Amino acid sequence: MRGAAVVVGVGESTYYKRGGSPDTEFQLACTAIRRAVEDAGLAMADIDGFTSYMDRNEPVRLSAALGVGPLNFTAQTFGGGGNGAAAAVTLADAAISAGYAETIVVFRALAQGQFHRYGQAGRVRRARGAGAFTAPYGMLSAAQICAMQTMRYMHEHGITQDSLAEIVLAGFEHAQRNPRAIRYGTPLTREQYHASRWIAEPFHLYDCCPENDGAAAIVVTTKERARDLRKSPVAIVAGAHGLEHRGGVAAFADPTFPTAYHRHVGTKLWERAGCGPQDIGVAQFYENFTGPVLIAIAEMGFCEPGELNDFVADGNIRWPDGGLPINTAGGNLGEAYIHGFGNVVEAVRQVRGESTCQVPDVELSLSVSGPGYAPGSAILFGKA
Amino acid sequence: MSVLPDDWALPALNARNEQWFTSGSIAVQRCIACSTRQHPPEEICHRCGASAFDHDVLAPTGTVFSYTVAHYAVNRALADSVPYAVVLVSLDEDPAVRVVGNLPGVPCDAIRIGMEVEAYWEERTAEDGAAIRLPQWRVR
Repeated sequence: MRGAAVVVGVGESTYYKRGGSPDTEFQLACTAIRRAVEDAGLAMADIDGFTSYMDRNEPVRLSAALGVGPLNFTAQTFGGGGNGAAAAVTLADAAISAGYAETIVVFRALAQGQFHRYGQAGRVRRARGAGAFTAPYGMLSAAQICAMQTMRYMHEHGITQDSLAEIVLAGFEHAQRNPRAIRYGTPLTREQYHASRWIAEPFHLYDCCPENDGAAAIVVTTKERARDLRKSPVAIVAGAHGLEHRGGVAAFADPTFPTAYHRHVGTKLWERAGCGPQDIGVAQFYENFTGPVLIAIAEMGFCEPGELNDFVADGNIRWPDGGLPINTAGGNLGEAYIHGFGNVVEAVRQVRGESTCQVPDVELSLSVSGPGYAPGSAILFGKA
Repeated sequence: MSVLPDDWALPALNARNEQWFTSGSIAVQRCIACSTRQHPPEEICHRCGASAFDHDVLAPTGTVFSYTVAHYAVNRALADSVPYAVVLVSLDEDPAVRVVGNLPGVPCDAIRIGMEVEAYWEERTAEDGAAIRLPQWRVR
């Protein structure tokens, strides 16, 4: 499809363990955005839009603090948690391709030390809506919801605990090469993985995304504007964001449960991009929990569900020798959990040749957002 | 025999879920116009768009479709309750209807997908005095 928009800058704050940031979430957001704009070789006055997903750092505050204005476009996706990360890029692409804005910052800031922890649940006396059918039974957290999906998926397709471990081990191994990664310098063995405590079966501690503080951003602009900027632009080859009818209906009532919500996304992405999973040599898969990553790998078409154990084994998802290295900066598990936006930034870096686990000659670079939460999204970057 | 503390969350009742949470039966929402069942109950029929509903009382039996065992207490109030299991039960009479619950009579490490279970109801009183009958599961 290739719209009018390209990526010209990336930036991150320092990443911290939860509570470790000396800065507020809003300050972290501003830092990541400043760095991305500087990386692009643009000035703040060049920015005229913001997109994100589930973010509380309003463009009203951001533009005032950063010297941005006039502003022409702001948008966030509905629902989906971290599954909006790639979709936020498609929002920017759509707005720029349609001419509503020229240069948009796509960002996500998340400080779980300052605000609520994703791994915890508030106490309610009376559960409302679909929660009335789950909360009274102690089905409360994202880990538990994704555990329910994963347990069934493992049963249906014979997925082993070691295959869950492969997702973790790939992220931790890649993080050892990335000085930005929170897990840089703290490798993990398979034995440590299996010995770690349960959170919600079949998830051990290391199957679960950490709670971190940080922010990440990219700058998207027109091909024309990109021509005289500092670095080579990265193309937005195609994006997809969506859902089948009754996809994601609450309390496990989705007729296709267990799903990562990436079947339709995969179909649309490859159709729009004019290529397929066989053309992809590096990918970022958002890890909220390891199980949904496996489901997403299959739903994006990289293998059949019954082939997943083999697909992730023997280093196939690890850099440098694997057929499909994933989460090459360490991912949410190894680098930092910024609601998956680090996986978008890393996908851009792979095209630029700037990854710390750089795959040679990357023509196409995939980032698949938060599986297990609906609607799903994915974005494919490439050489401009 | 509750898995969670007696003062843990109870359902807030409304016109759509009241039958489910007070009747002591597996009363599944059914669209009057097109007879489609949906659970949890919705405000609009997902098949035909109508908003008038009745319910079907189905046999209170099913099989464990999936489950998880929560070891980490996501709220301090649950610290003494972990580990506890949450099961997803597919009803025998309509397997597309899946019901979340607990299976208190079975040790967490003995729960398996495919276990045959039947419903029973916990009698609970909400803080506003509402009498709630919360469906739960046991092995049959």
